[in-house]
Amino acid sequence: MNRYLARRLVESIITLFLATVVVFLGIRALPGDPARVLAGEESDPQAIAEVRASYGLDQPLPVQYVRYLGKAFTGDLGTSVRTGLPVTEIIAGALPVTLELAFLAMLVAILIGLSTGVIAAVRRRGPLEWASNSVALLGLSIPNFWFGQMGILLFAVLLGVLPASGFVPFLDDPVENLRRMIMPAVVLGSAIAAVIMRQTRSAMLESLTADFVRTARAKGLPRHQVILGHALRNSLIVVTTVVGLQLGILISGAVVTESIFVLPGFGRLTLDAVFTRDYPLMQGVVLITATAYIVLNLLVDLLYSVIDPRIRVGGAAL
Amino acid sequence: MTRSRVRGGAAVAALLLALTGCGKIDNQQQPSGGGNSADNRAVKSGGTLRIALDGEPDKLDPTLARTLVGRNVFAAICEKLYDVNEKLEVVPQLAAAMPEVSSDGKTVTIKLRTGLRFSDGTTLDAAAVKTSLDRHRTLDGSQRKSELANVKDVTVTDPATVTLGLAQPFAPLAAVLADRAGMIMSPAVLTAKGADFGTAPSCVGPFKFATRVAQDRIEVVKDPNYYDAAKVKLDKVIYRSIPDANTRFNNLRSGDIDVVFNVSPINVDELKGMSNLRLISTESLGYQGITVNIGNVAGVGKAPGTLAAPFAGPFATEAKVRRAFMLTIDRDSLNRTVFRGQYAPACGPVSPASQLSSDAAQACPKHDVAEAKKLLGEAGVQTPVKVSLTVVNDPDNRRIGEAVKSMAAEGGFDVQLEPTEFASSLDLTDAGKYQLYRIGWSGRVDADGNITPFVQTKGSQNVAGYSDAEIDQWLNDARSTQDLTKRKELYGKVVGKLQQDAPLIYLYRQKNLTGVTSKAGQVKEFGDGIIRVTTAGFVE
Repeated sequence: MNRYLARRLVESIITLFLATVVVFLGIRALPGDPARVLAGEESDPQAIAEVRASYGLDQPLPVQYVRYLGKAFTGDLGTSVRTGLPVTEIIAGALPVTLELAFLAMLVAILIGLSTGVIAAVRRRGPLEWASNSVALLGLSIPNFWFGQMGILLFAVLLGVLPASGFVPFLDDPVENLRRMIMPAVVLGSAIAAVIMRQTRSAMLESLTADFVRTARAKGLPRHQVILGHALRNSLIVVTTVVGLQLGILISGAVVTESIFVLPGFGRLTLDAVFTRDYPLMQGVVLITATAYIVLNLLVDLLYSVIDPRIRVGGAAL
Repeated sequence: MTRSRVRGGAAVAALLLALTGCGKIDNQQQPSGGGNSADNRAVKSGGTLRIALDGEPDKLDPTLARTLVGRNVFAAICEKLYDVNEKLEVVPQLAAAMPEVSSDGKTVTIKLRTGLRFSDGTTLDAAAVKTSLDRHRTLDGSQRKSELANVKDVTVTDPATVTLGLAQPFAPLAAVLADRAGMIMSPAVLTAKGADFGTAPSCVGPFKFATRVAQDRIEVVKDPNYYDAAKVKLDKVIYRSIPDANTRFNNLRSGDIDVVFNVSPINVDELKGMSNLRLISTESLGYQGITVNIGNVAGVGKAPGTLAAPFAGPFATEAKVRRAFMLTIDRDSLNRTVFRGQYAPACGPVSPASQLSSDAAQACPKHDVAEAKKLLGEAGVQTPVKVSLTVVNDPDNRRIGEAVKSMAAEGGFDVQLEPTEFASSLDLTDAGKYQLYRIGWSGRVDADGNITPFVQTKGSQNVAGYSDAEIDQWLNDARSTQDLTKRKELYGKVVGKLQQDAPLIYLYRQKNLTGVTSKAGQVKEFGDGIIRVTTAGFVE
């Protein structure tokens, strides 16, 4: 197990290093110069050249990369070309917003997805399965931006029961925080709930006809114990994989959701950084995203071994 | 899922679908009419005003700042040597009087108000003014360098007087000092923060900087050191960044925002129909148009030359072709179809609201397809004349592009639209890699700032690569004289010549459209597009 973990860690570090190279070169391959974008309509060539020089953008690419990497190792991701604020500070402010949004969205998705998936499998060919499938189809087919705008119109503009936008940190005011996060979480979680529901349903259908479930029933176990303790637990392997993959989708989905609800999160930050060609900020957000992906993949691998001991045994044999 | 939940979900879904079908919410409220910037209702002390801007301000450093949204924040925290009033006349703000100009126009004396304090409590005096002006003129990356290029030196004459030595007479100086170049920063904070001044700016203003959360909000609070603090009613102003126009409008409707900057024309009628909201509408100083690449062969700032393929063509070489193209565009129709008639057609760079406007500057060649075809015939070009039009890839610009393409087709042009992401479009057009480019300018108080950088041969923003000796001379003459009548006459001549040569085809002039909750009073906005909240508050 330790060797397996060590190998996965080394692989992760190499992947991260390669990601920094790709990100660095990819960003610079984009047309558009941050100093020029920053200038906007006031395109004084002299000022643009000076801004470029002040951020070292007039240096050869290898020099820029080595400087970037050297600073990144010390935790210094530079300052935003646009706002002049430290990138680490900006990301540190945005990350908790997106993490909370992702957590709440995933909570919504798992609660809805698992429950409807189980119901659809257990009550097969009944009205409840039809309803669950319909909800899943709606969740998959309604785009976030439309769902979000409709939510704002209904709950903020018409009914006035929820705020239309903005973020209040949980520690500052937990109630207000949840009031502001509930709509974004439902919007973002709805599509994922649909995916989880579909996967849970198909995995459950397979489990319910498996020998071990038949055995459990033959032993006289109560119905709910057979479904939840045996069939569902076995289905969770598939569902966990889906949840792991969907975590990545959550980050990209957060771009739209955060824009609609004007949340100062990581997704919106990424989008703004790209549009303004804010190189230090783009490098920072992509580096953090790449790290998050790598760590999550590692965690999902480890989670497999917790859920299914056979994987742990296999891992130890490596 | 229980049956009742299914029914509830279906009801919500049905309601959402119904809302989409309607397109807008009809709240059965009576129209309150359009608005203007005059609102003198009495306001009470206290409260927080929330303003939604259409983008995130850049650095809050007057030397380095470039964005219009940033200017809105500065209006609350950084006063200037001069300001403009509702008639767009330049008036003293931190200065005690209008500048005194020597007979040769090369020495300008500015008297300062006394007893003013920065938000950090230090005193504003002539030395502080010199520190700021010198920083504007010399700091690497300063956006004020070109604006103050004519200022050779700044001298402290006495604690309440500075003298500016100019390389050439420069009539727009007072107007320039009515913008960021005239903002005076606390020398103590400049020393302490250096290049990071923008992270905690300190100037003289009704409010002082409190905090900034990237891409979310900037908060400013009432400054007790402000010389007119008694007139300031609000405790706090929060500027939030909400780029999407619909989201801004929905936030205004829901009461999450009190003031919305840059209301979309699409939302104007609906806003006017709501009794709890009002609209401030003022003429903009800027313009929107199409820049023609005439001679930008090596990039902005380089000498104009002869274009090569694939950008060469009759548009670059034949003024008659450019004029013909201009005549095919029906500006009224463009305004009606794309902007629901909320903006104003424009044929030149001088706003009717400007003190330098004249009949000549507002002359406008009429939409005339027959004349366009005649001009093409005289130019001897084969029709349809093919040309590519670069448009920023957003809904408004794509709609403008489609409308122009359709109108131009009637006159004998085949316009190929090139939707391009904004950052890329700037790169391409600066480098001269385009034929036509749909772009605009937010506008400056003095007409010089709306013309000279764009069409003078050595203009810092001469993306068209245009060069005309007469225009260059007239613009220099207009800069050199303080005589308003003479300047109007010269800008009138410049506009006439520009309409003949058409390096820029002016299309329309935006209006500054600001939505305000009826609960807020004395929120002001003039033609410069800046929201002023010094005396604003919530109505009693």
